[in-house]
Amino acid sequence: MPIDDKKITDTHISVYLENEFKAINAHIPRNRKTLTQLLQETRPQIDLSDGSTHFFRKKELEYIAEIINEEERNFLMLPMLMEVSSEMSDIKVRSSRGIEAKILSKVLDMDVAYDQKNVTVYRRQLGQIRKILATSTQYVFTP
Amino acid sequence: MATKVQVTRPTKMELARLKRRLKLAIRIQKIVKDRLSLLIMEFLQTVRECAVVREKLLTEFYEAYKAFSIASGYHGEVILEKAIAFTNMNLQITAGTRNVAGVKLPIFEIEKTDPHGSKNRNLSDGSSILDYSIERSQKCLETIIQLTELQTSLELLGAEINKVKRTNNALEYIVIPSLDETIRYLNMKFEERDREETARLKYVKRLLEQKEAYAY
Repeated sequence: MPIDDKKITDTHISVYLENEFKAINAHIPRNRKTLTQLLQETRPQIDLSDGSTHFFRKKELEYIAEIINEEERNFLMLPMLMEVSSEMSDIKVRSSRGIEAKILSKVLDMDVAYDQKNVTVYRRQLGQIRKILATSTQYVFTP
Repeated sequence: MATKVQVTRPTKMELARLKRRLKLAIRIQKIVKDRLSLLIMEFLQTVRECAVVREKLLTEFYEAYKAFSIASGYHGEVILEKAIAFTNMNLQITAGTRNVAGVKLPIFEIEKTDPHGSKNRNLSDGSSILDYSIERSQKCLETIIQLTELQTSLELLGAEINKVKRTNNALEYIVIPSLDETIRYLNMKFEERDREETARLKYVKRLLEQKEAYAY
């Protein structure tokens, strides 16, 4: 942060805060793809909003494909977005059809809290999820 | 001590703007803290994975050296060197990046076209011992690639953690306190202005009262 300690101007702080806010979620995907689409690609990847690309591990995709059925593969959008909120200690994963809940409960080897819209994951469980689904999950920071 | 932000106009509108900015700074700091904790979690996980893969690599190296030393004893140095020189492996690596909370980490996917490796050497010189030792060394290569990915990820995550820590400290110790200080300063200034205004009004009132008294 190029702020001189003796002369912090209003513009410095304003620009700094704006840039910081933009940078926090610069890595979210521009558009997600279904599991079926990704399985058909030779190099499964998506574009991110910062212009970079995010590759998926084929082994991971095959692992997910084993858990869910043919129809569900057409609806599962990847990467799964895990909403990290500073207000709450737990993490939410959007799951309108319950496919994500099915995958996460398989990964964690236990039932997960699912309320027809969101799957609640606790921070302690994150390590296990990220270990298995390192490329098919993505963090999103919500204020 | 926190430095005061230099505001251009000490007005009520400016105060409201600064208050909004302070709220935003606090929100950003919370998110930055969250990001920091997640990055540390990823870092520790990578460290653990790295240790496992390193252990695996050491075992594979041990196996490979053992197999090569047996092959060297059985065939002799010349045949072994010839076999190594003329053996190739059809190994294809796909390199890309994955994004973890804003950090671009490398990803290497090994795609072997021939799972048994192609053996271009003279079959009359070979033996199962030689094949086994070559197979062991090829196994090492796969683990080396895996370790490279983890080691690079570790370095990148470490660098990002340092950066995020600095951002968090800048927000916690410079931006938020200086905004706080400026808001307090402006509040004090407005209170002072109000007091001056009240005193002035009282003075004017007294003057008017005196004027009225003299008029009678």
